[in-house]
Amino acid sequence: MLKIDRYAYTNKLRCVHPAEKLAFALAMLIACLALSSRLASLLVVLFMAASAVLRAKIPALFYLKLLLVPASFLLAGVFTVALSFSKDASLFLAGVKLGGCVLGFTAAGLATALDLFLKSLGAVSCLYFLVLTTPAVEIFALLRKLRLPPLFVELMALVYRFIFVLLETAEKIYLSQSSRGGYATLKTAYFSLGQLAANLFAKSYRHSQLLFLTLSARCYTGELNVLDEPCRFSPRNLLLSILAGLTLLAAGYCAEKGAGPFAR
Amino acid sequence: MPGKPILEAKEVSFRYPDGTPALKNVTLAVAEGQKTAFLGPNGAGKTTLFLHFNGLFRPERGKVYFAGREVRYDHASLLELRKNVGIVFQDPETQLFSASVWQEVSFGPLNLGLPAPEVKERVLAALSAAQVLDLKDRPTHFLSYGQKKRVAIADILAMRPRVLICDEPTAWLDTRRGKQIMDLFAGLNASGTTIVFSTHDVDLAYSWADYVFLLKDGALIGEGPPEAVLSDPRLLAAAELEKPWVAEVYEELQCKGWVAGRRPPRSKEELLALIGERGARGAELRKVK
Repeated sequence: MLKIDRYAYTNKLRCVHPAEKLAFALAMLIACLALSSRLASLLVVLFMAASAVLRAKIPALFYLKLLLVPASFLLAGVFTVALSFSKDASLFLAGVKLGGCVLGFTAAGLATALDLFLKSLGAVSCLYFLVLTTPAVEIFALLRKLRLPPLFVELMALVYRFIFVLLETAEKIYLSQSSRGGYATLKTAYFSLGQLAANLFAKSYRHSQLLFLTLSARCYTGELNVLDEPCRFSPRNLLLSILAGLTLLAAGYCAEKGAGPFAR
Repeated sequence: MPGKPILEAKEVSFRYPDGTPALKNVTLAVAEGQKTAFLGPNGAGKTTLFLHFNGLFRPERGKVYFAGREVRYDHASLLELRKNVGIVFQDPETQLFSASVWQEVSFGPLNLGLPAPEVKERVLAALSAAQVLDLKDRPTHFLSYGQKKRVAIADILAMRPRVLICDEPTAWLDTRRGKQIMDLFAGLNASGTTIVFSTHDVDLAYSWADYVFLLKDGALIGEGPPEAVLSDPRLLAAAELEKPWVAEVYEELQCKGWVAGRRPPRSKEELLALIGERGARGAELRKVK
């Protein structure tokens, strides 16, 4: 979480207009979801990885680790999709007999599972590209420009800011507890952790009250008006993003008709 | 020369919701254009009083005045007051609400209803005055405490208030950063802004302020120019404060007859200059002999 945030501010695509990055991520996401093709999903995964690692200079190892996070529970989820249950034993590639039925993997089940796995990974890659290259603040500004309800965007922005305040407070409490042997044994550790959670809640509440006070001191009247920093906007990049998405879609459409590399 | 009173409290009393009295019948006036320090131990009521000046707290009894007019607590009057009286809170962590330094500082001027180009200009000016212009693209949560403190000050500078109140401006800052902030305030003061700040640091108040208020347990126990108030042992003892070291050394030198009794020096530099003068004269006398 914190590392993602750090890269969002330091990557090589930081200065690219957030709308371009969002358009790129969205175009690829739509292409990935609209095309139910393994190759298309795989292409999106690879293309997004290349964009993040080669263009934005996110360390490859970090990106790989990040992909492993959803991959692990995707595998678990996909496993249940791949599993089939039927009386017709001839359908199964492998399985165990349970009474009169067979529980195991069929070719069709495995294919669906693989499709689903790659498609989800493709979608996650698009999201990763966006969050790794675009600071949250810029995404909020974009959402504001896209006329999302201000209350919604303000809430997101405040939650984002106070995640860090909360983490810092928790860290300070944790340090002060451990410096006094708060986590020496399992029993004291449980006790300390409970105290930490309770304290964190009380502190957050107090913090929110103080924040209201400090905002009021600056003429707060219910809306968190802020000035967004102007970014240089390149229509070329936007066009390229949309083009990339369209190309993928067109290729997929041809595949539906039974021609080209995407044919199933 | 003190100007007209810009902030006044008349017989102000205030009690916290839990019943603890925070201010007891406080009557005082801050003169426009002055550098005013509020001194007192923890819990003396300095912050509570400041929150009254900004209209965030409403006195239980008594009245608060800004520029001769009684503070009213309807929406429009409060906005007008807060436009003129800016307050920098002690803990920047509770003041900074945005994850972006730029957005953070733009919040105040935008609330004043200014057009975007002027807000931009003010934000840039405030950031460079507070020496954090290089941090404008950094997220708030990557800043150090001292940087956050300076961004919190830029927050208020961008609103260009007539009175700038700062709660413990030098608390938790290293000496150099603390001095930079006080220099910044001195510059603002020279261009007409009234500066009000609270501190525990008698040396700072002694060398920097034009006028000093001493608070203790929610009551005003003394006021006046620093050289008068901070050399009164009775007052200092009542406020649980020590005498500023410059004053103490000067008195000691004066007792011994080593320095001439003109105006007491206010800072280390003035004291050293005084000692230097004396030393030079001594050397001349020796030469004559």
